[in-house]
Amino acid sequence: MAAITQDRGPDLREPAGWRRTKDRIATLLMVVAFVVVIIPLGFVLFTVIAKGISIISVSFLTSPIPPLFAPASEGGIGPAVLGTLEITGLATIMAVPLGILGAIYLNEYGGRGLLGRLIGFFSDVMTGVPSIIMGLFLFSIWVVHFGFSGFAGALALGCLMLPIVIRSTYEMLRLVPGSLREGSYAVGATKSRVTMTVVLPAALGGIVSGALLAVARAAGETAPLLFTILGGLSTANPNPFSGANIAIPMLIFNNASSPYTGAQARAWGAALTLIALAFILMIAARLITARFSRYSRY
Amino acid sequence: MSVATRRAGPAIPADPARALSERRPLGDRGFQILALACGLLVLAILVLIATSTSQQAALWFSTEGIKVFAKTWNPAANQFGALPFIYGTAITGAIAVIMAVPVSVGIALLLTQVVPYRWARPIVYVVDLLAVVPSVVWGLWGILVFGPWIQHIYASIGSAVQGVPVLDDLFGPPTSGASFFTCGIILAFMITPIVTSLSREVIATVPAIDREGAYALGATRLEMIRGAVWPHSKGGVTGAVLLGLGRAMGETIAAALVIGSSPTITSHLFAPGYNMPAVIANQFGEASGVWRSGLIGLGVMLFAITIIINIIARGIVDRSARRQRGA
Amino acid sequence: MDRLHRKRFTAGIALAVIAMLAAACSSSSTTGGSSGSSLTGTLNASGSSFQLPFQQAAIQQFKSVQPNMTVNYGGGGSGKGRSDLAAGVVQFAGSDSPIPSAETANFKGKTVLYFPVIIGPITVSYNLSGVTSLKLTPTVIAEIFQGTIKKWDDPAIKSINPGVSLPSTPISLAVRADSSGTTANFSLFLMTAVPSVWKLGSSSTISWPSSAHAGNGNGGVAQIIKSTPGSIGYVDFADAKAAGLTYASVQNKSGNYIAPSPTSASAAAAGITPASDLTFHAVWSPAPEAYPITYQSWVLVYQKQSSTNTTKMLQAYIGYLLGPGQQLLEPLGYAKLPSSIDQQAKAQLDKIGM
Repeated sequence: MAAITQDRGPDLREPAGWRRTKDRIATLLMVVAFVVVIIPLGFVLFTVIAKGISIISVSFLTSPIPPLFAPASEGGIGPAVLGTLEITGLATIMAVPLGILGAIYLNEYGGRGLLGRLIGFFSDVMTGVPSIIMGLFLFSIWVVHFGFSGFAGALALGCLMLPIVIRSTYEMLRLVPGSLREGSYAVGATKSRVTMTVVLPAALGGIVSGALLAVARAAGETAPLLFTILGGLSTANPNPFSGANIAIPMLIFNNASSPYTGAQARAWGAALTLIALAFILMIAARLITARFSRYSRY
Repeated sequence: MSVATRRAGPAIPADPARALSERRPLGDRGFQILALACGLLVLAILVLIATSTSQQAALWFSTEGIKVFAKTWNPAANQFGALPFIYGTAITGAIAVIMAVPVSVGIALLLTQVVPYRWARPIVYVVDLLAVVPSVVWGLWGILVFGPWIQHIYASIGSAVQGVPVLDDLFGPPTSGASFFTCGIILAFMITPIVTSLSREVIATVPAIDREGAYALGATRLEMIRGAVWPHSKGGVTGAVLLGLGRAMGETIAAALVIGSSPTITSHLFAPGYNMPAVIANQFGEASGVWRSGLIGLGVMLFAITIIINIIARGIVDRSARRQRGA
Repeated sequence: MDRLHRKRFTAGIALAVIAMLAAACSSSSTTGGSSGSSLTGTLNASGSSFQLPFQQAAIQQFKSVQPNMTVNYGGGGSGKGRSDLAAGVVQFAGSDSPIPSAETANFKGKTVLYFPVIIGPITVSYNLSGVTSLKLTPTVIAEIFQGTIKKWDDPAIKSINPGVSLPSTPISLAVRADSSGTTANFSLFLMTAVPSVWKLGSSSTISWPSSAHAGNGNGGVAQIIKSTPGSIGYVDFADAKAAGLTYASVQNKSGNYIAPSPTSASAAAAGITPASDLTFHAVWSPAPEAYPITYQSWVLVYQKQSSTNTTKMLQAYIGYLLGPGQQLLEPLGYAKLPSSIDQQAKAQLDKIGM
C-alpha cells in the first residue's frame, strides 16, 4: 500500500497557457465588438441631442416652416409635425387591423396549408423590400391619377407596416397556449368568437407593442414619402386627403443638403423630435410587453 | 307521469349528421373570409408592385435592350446604362457587410455565451437603440458631422498609401467626405441591429447539451464556440448576414445623402459614387420618358435583387431553425 | 344581431361615415370662392432652386396680401418643375431655361407661357483657406470643370492671379446631381464663351468628371463647397451669399474681371430684347460692367386653365412677383428685371386662362 502521493499531477481546472490566452482574446474581441457599436450610437445621439436641444421648444414644434435661409430663431417645424402625425396615424389605422387579421388567418386558419405557408413566407420577404419601392409603386398607381396627398403617403407607409405587423402579431398569437382555445371550443364558441374574445385579448400586450414598433419604424421613413406627398409647404395642411403635405423625415432630408445654419439647426431639432418620438414608442412597447403580455418568448 | 320520468324521456334525435363546419353561423364564415382576404393582401401587394413597376420600366428595357447594362448613365445624351449603380450597390453592400458581420456576430456570441442572463437585457436594449435611429438621421449626421470628420482620415490614409501598388488604387486621396466608403460605414451601422438580433436567435437554439458536453471535455469557451455552437448555427448566421446585405442594398435616404452622387465605376473607394436607391431618390422628381422608365427599371432590378436575397436568406434561416427544433 | 356584432357593425358604419365626410371636405381646393378681391385656394409649384429663396420670401410676404390663399413652392430643380407641370401635379413651375426640345413632347401641345421673374449671377465659389480673392477666365473655368486642371497651383491659374499664393491642393469639384437650370446656364456660358475649350455641351445634366461630388439644389452644392477644403463649384449668388461662400471674379466679354453682384447682373440684363414668348439668355453679355455668368428664371404656366379661380390666383401671385415682389430681390442677392421686360411680362398676365 503506497502512501497517497503528494504529487497532484497537472491542474486540469485551467487549460494550458496558449489555449487560455486564445480564449481570453476571443472574449476581449467580443467585448470590443460591443464597444464598437456603442461608439457611433453614442456619437449620433450625442450630436443630435447637443445640436437639437437648443432649438426645441413648444413654439418650434408648432410654428410654420420659414424659408430655408431664415435664421434658427425664426419659425419651426409645425406643419411637418402635423403631417407626420396625420400620415403615420392614417397608415396605422389602415395597416394594424389588416395586419392583425392577416396574422389571425396565418395562425388560426391557414397555417399548415400551401396558401398559409406562402403568405407567411412572402410576408417575411416583404419586410425586406426597400421602402423606396413602395414609394415608386404608390406613385405609379395612385399619384399619377389622384395627385399628391398625405393619404398617398399613408398608403405607402401602410404597405411598409403591414408585413411587420403581420409578423409580430403572428409570433404573439402563436404563444397563446392551445388549451385556452380548446377550452373555449369546448363551451361551444365559434372560431371567430374564440379568436376575438379569447386569443386576441391574451396576446394583446404583445400585439400592441409590435404595432408600436411598426409605427416607430414608419414615422421615420422618408423614401416612400418623397414621391407621394410633394413637400414644400410652409403652413400646415390639416387635410391629409387632398393637397401636398410634409412630414418630419422629409423636412430633415430637404434641410440636410442646405448650407444655411438656420435650416441645419431646424434639421437637428427635427431629428431630435423624431428620435424622441421613436424612443418613446419603443419604451412604451417594452413597458406594455412587460406589464400586459401574459405570454412572452423570454 | 311524474315530472322526473318526463324529464328523463328519450332525447330529441339530432339532425342526421351535418358537420359542425356546415352549420357555422354566417358571421363566423365572414370572419374567416375577411381574415383570408387580409392575408392575401400581402400577396396582392407584392404582385401589384412587381407588375406595375415592370410595366412602367418596359419602355427602358425595350429602348435600351442589352445596353441596360452599359457603363454610362447620361440623361442629357440619352444614355441610360445601369452598370455604375449596380456596381455602387454591390460595393457599398459589400463594405457594409464586411464591417458589420464580425461586430454583429461578436455581440451575438457575447450575449448568448459570455454574459450572464441578467445583463443580457440591457445590452440588447442598447443594440436595439441603434435600430431606433431613423435612416434620415443617419444621413443627416453622416453628411454634416461624420463626412467632414472622416475626410481628414481619408486624406491621411490616401497620402500614406500613395505608391503602394494595390492599396493606392483602393484608397487614394478623397474628393470629400462623401464616398462609397462613407456610405458603406453608415450602412454597416444601420444593419448591425438586425444581423445581431437574428444571429442571436439562431445561436440561442444550439442545444445546451452540446455546449455542456464540450465544456465537460475540458474545452475553453472559444473551443466550445468553434466546436459546438458554430457548426449548428453556421447556416442561420449566414441567412442573417444575407438579410443584412439585402437591407443594406435597399437603404435609400442615408445612401442618397452621403454617397456623393457621381455615377462612376472606379476601384477608388474614397471617391464619390452612386447606387441604385440613391439615384432613384435623387433624380426621380425631374425625370420623364425613358429617363423615368429607366429609374423605375432600376427600382425593378433592386426589387428583384432584394427579393431573391431575402428568399434565399429566409430559406436558410428557416431550414436551420427547423433542423434545430427537429434535432 | 348580438351585442358584440352590433358594436362592430356600428364601428364600421362610423368609420365609413367619417371617411366619406373627410373625402367630401377635401373636395378640390382649387374651387374655392373669391369674395371681392380676396381669393381662397392653394397653388402648388415646384422647380428651380435658383428661385427658391425668392419664392419662399415672396410667399411669406404674399400672405399679408391674400391671407386666404396658400402657395407652396417645392423646389427640386428646374427639371423637376417642368416635369411636374407636364404631369399636371403643380399649377406653375420655376425653370431657369426654356423647355428643351427633348421635353416638348411631354406637354402634349399645350401652350406654356413664360413669365421672367428674376435675374441673378452664378458664382464660381471656392473653399481655399487664405485665398480671399481669385480671378478666373472662361478658359480656365472650362478646364477646371472638365478636369484638365487638377491642382490649385496650376500655372494657368497662377498666371492670372499674380500675388496670390495658391497651395498645391488638388481641386475637388462640386456640381449638381439633379436636373438643373443653373447647370444649363453655366454650361451655356462656357459653350458660348469658349466653344473650342468646353467639350461637355450645354444641358440640364452634364456628365462631369467622375471625381466630382454632386449635391441636390444650389443649396446642396453650396454645402459641399462649404464643408470641403479645396473645392470649387457653381452656385447662384443668393445661395452663395447666404451661405457665406467666397467667390471668384470672372473675365467678361470686354476683358474686365467682374465680381458677381446684383449691380453687375443688372448690367448684363440691361438692353436685352427678349423673344416674343419672353425667353432670352443673359449669359456672356457684351456690356463692359456686366458679370458674364448672369442668368434668369421664369415662371411657367399653362395658358389654358381649367378653373377661373386658379386663373385668378395665378394672376394675383405672378402679378405680385412681377410687381411688389421685385422689391424683395436685391436684399436677397438677385437683380430686378429690367423694366421693359417687366412691363412685357405684366402685359402677358391677361393671357392666362384664355
